[in-house]
This record gives sequence, C-alpha cells and structure tokens, in this order.
Amino acid sequence: MKTKNIFILLFALFLFGCAEDSQSSLSPGTSTSGQGGSLARFSIVGDYLYTINSDQLNIFDISDASQPFLKNTQFLPSNDVETIFPFGNWLFMGTETGMLIFERQAEGTVQFISRYDHVRSCDPVVTDGQFAYVTLRATGCRNAAEGAVDLVEAISLEDLENPQIIGDKELNSPRGLALDNDVLFVCDGPAGFWVFDVSTPGTFETITKVENIDVNDVILSNGIAMIIGPNNVYQYDYTNLPTLTEISELELE
Amino acid sequence: MKTRLLFFLLMVSLSSCFERMVEIPEETLGLAPIYGEETDKLIQIMDPQPIVSLYKIYYKAPYIYAGEAGRGVHIIDNSEPSAPEKIAFLQILGNSDVAIKDNYLYANYENELVTIDISDLDNIEVVSRLENVFDKFVGDIFPEGYSGFFECVDPTKGTVIGWSEQILIEPQCWK
Repeated sequence: MKTKNIFILLFALFLFGCAEDSQSSLSPGTSTSGQGGSLARFSIVGDYLYTINSDQLNIFDISDASQPFLKNTQFLPSNDVETIFPFGNWLFMGTETGMLIFERQAEGTVQFISRYDHVRSCDPVVTDGQFAYVTLRATGCRNAAEGAVDLVEAISLEDLENPQIIGDKELNSPRGLALDNDVLFVCDGPAGFWVFDVSTPGTFETITKVENIDVNDVILSNGIAMIIGPNNVYQYDYTNLPTLTEISELELE
Repeated sequence: MKTRLLFFLLMVSLSSCFERMVEIPEETLGLAPIYGEETDKLIQIMDPQPIVSLYKIYYKAPYIYAGEAGRGVHIIDNSEPSAPEKIAFLQILGNSDVAIKDNYLYANYENELVTIDISDLDNIEVVSRLENVFDKFVGDIFPEGYSGFFECVDPTKGTVIGWSEQILIEPQCWK
C-alpha cells in the first residue's frame, strides 16, 4: 500500500514537473524569472540568459543564478540585431533588416533556421509560433533606408524555413509590441497605443486605440498591459475588450 | 577614461569639418553622452531619481523596472497596479538591458555582465562580474562607424564615460 502511495506521489510529481517544463518552454521566462518587453536584448529561458549585441549572441549559463558563466558565443548572420524574443524552442531576433529565427539546442547553443528580410528600419518581433509580427519604424530611426515606411507586418511561419509576409498595416512610428492569442498590442510612439484583432491571418482590425499617449514598449501580464513611454508607465486592463480600462498612470518626473 | 575623452575631443573637433546636414530634426533617435565623475559609484542603489527618458520595461512581480538607457533602472513597486510607486533607482552607468532570475538581476555594464543580488533593495550587492563578454554595446563607448546625430558634449558636465541611445531634441552634433 505504502509503495503504491509513493508511486502515485512520484507520478504526480512527474506530471507536475512536465507541466512546469512545458509551460516554461512555451512562454518567455519561467516562474522564477521576469518578463522583458519586445525591445529587450536580454532574455532568460530556463537556465540560460541570451544576450544579443550587434552580430553577437552570448549564452550564459545561469543554473546557479548568483554565478553565471559564459557558456557560448555565437556570431549571427546579420550585424544589426537589436531585439530578442523567445518562443518555445525558438529564438526570434529583430534586426534592422528583418527577422532571424533560431532553434535552441541542448548545451546552450542555437541553430540558425531562417530569416525574413525587409527594407532597413528599426524593428522588434513577437510571435505565437504560428505568426510573427514585426514593427518597422522609419521615423526617427537613424539607419532607416530612404523610402522606408512605418509599418506593422504579419509573417506566416507555416514553413519555418521560409517565412512569408501575409499582410501589413501602416502606422505612425511603431516600436514595441506584444501578443495575447489573437490580440496584438502595438506602441506607436507619440501616436498612441493600438489594439488589433489579428484573428484573420494577415489582417489588423482595430479593436481600440489610446490616443494622446507617447509609448515605447509593452508587457502583458495577467490581463494587464504595462506600457512604458519616455516619461510614464501606463497600465490598462484589457480583459473586457473592446474596452481598455485605465488602471493607473505613473508619471516619473 | 582619458583616452576616451581625447578620442571624443578629437571627434568633436573633426565634426566641425563635416558638411552641415540639410536640416536638424526636431526629434530623432541618436546618441547622448553619459557623464560621470571619477568619484561616482557606478553601480549603486539610490533614492528615486528624476528621469531623462525611459525606453525599456522589465517586469518581475511585484516590481516594474523602467529602464533608462545609459543610466540604470527606476524600480516601481507594482503590488497595487492602481497605485504604483517609484521606490528606488538602481544606477548602472552605461546600461541598456536587464533581466532577472530569482533575486538576481543581470545587467550589461561597460563590457561586463554584472549580477546584482536584489533580495534586499536597501542593500544590493554585486555578486559576480564577468569581464570582456560584451563589446560594441550601444550605451558603451561611442560606437565605431556610427553615423548620425548625437548630443554635443558639454565638458562642464564631467567626463564622458559612455554613450546611450536616446530620443534627441534638435541635436546640434552629427558625424
């Protein structure tokens, strides 16, 4: 009897362990690490801290959180990498010329999968594994190419080795963005904060927009959008869309 | 430090040789110098500080870390999202990014990855420094090959210890 109980307990622990693992591999960060915005160059997945800088990816082993060590440095097939976004076993990187996709491997290395290129501008990327969304900001982007426009693009990842653009929408000066199921949140600089329904692939149907706020990046947590602007941190409850309810606005003087 | 200052002065003097750009934008993304005194403690916890311009955001309950490129992070207690409160400023000069696991905050500081124990915000402790793991970080030294606008250096403000990417208002310097 006792043995059976122990067995059940072990089985339960095993299941619990699985559940936790799968969760950590599906969402950026684990229960013990924090959450970055889409403009981040640092990202923690499990026991690894990934940092990107220009054409260099550093992978730090942080299994002992207080004593990280450099596990690996890899050079990237692009010298203008600006942002990193983990999803599942993949790492997505926003570059000035597009997006790179890598697969994370055991032993703290990554394998290049594919790239998506567009005109030179400034852009982070987010994804749900099926689709990736990138913003392209020409306004105020010092390296933007002549004729670059301000856009958010939807990219199909159906063939991960050959990402394809399936739609876009012109914006003002888009920066950070975030995705929760079929709802896409985009910070559009001084032009405000957009909430789009992206349930029809490749389309951006406006659910609501907050005007008159200047915003750079956003983090979603428990139905709250935390948004940072040059001087403020705004928080909105988005659980009752199309209504976006302001929870607070902290002005940092 | 001195080499950097010299390098910079050289650049400033050279910049006057370049042709004027057609127009100076009202607002643009560019680089701004970070000043420091030799006596400054470069990594330290401080009372809430005034901000210059926020850019990135990081969250680990119950705190929001509002990043200010080149200076560090403003720490906001978000236990009550309806009443967030600025409680401290973690100064990390030259910093652009942070990430947190458990009670340890990782940050780029010059060419180092520093690990800071933040379990007691009144008494933070740098527990690890990995040197020479980064180079060319925006926010570190003036990047080679950079072309674009930057904020002119004002030597009365101190020594330039790094550069950070910021929104500049009518910048008067460029290269």
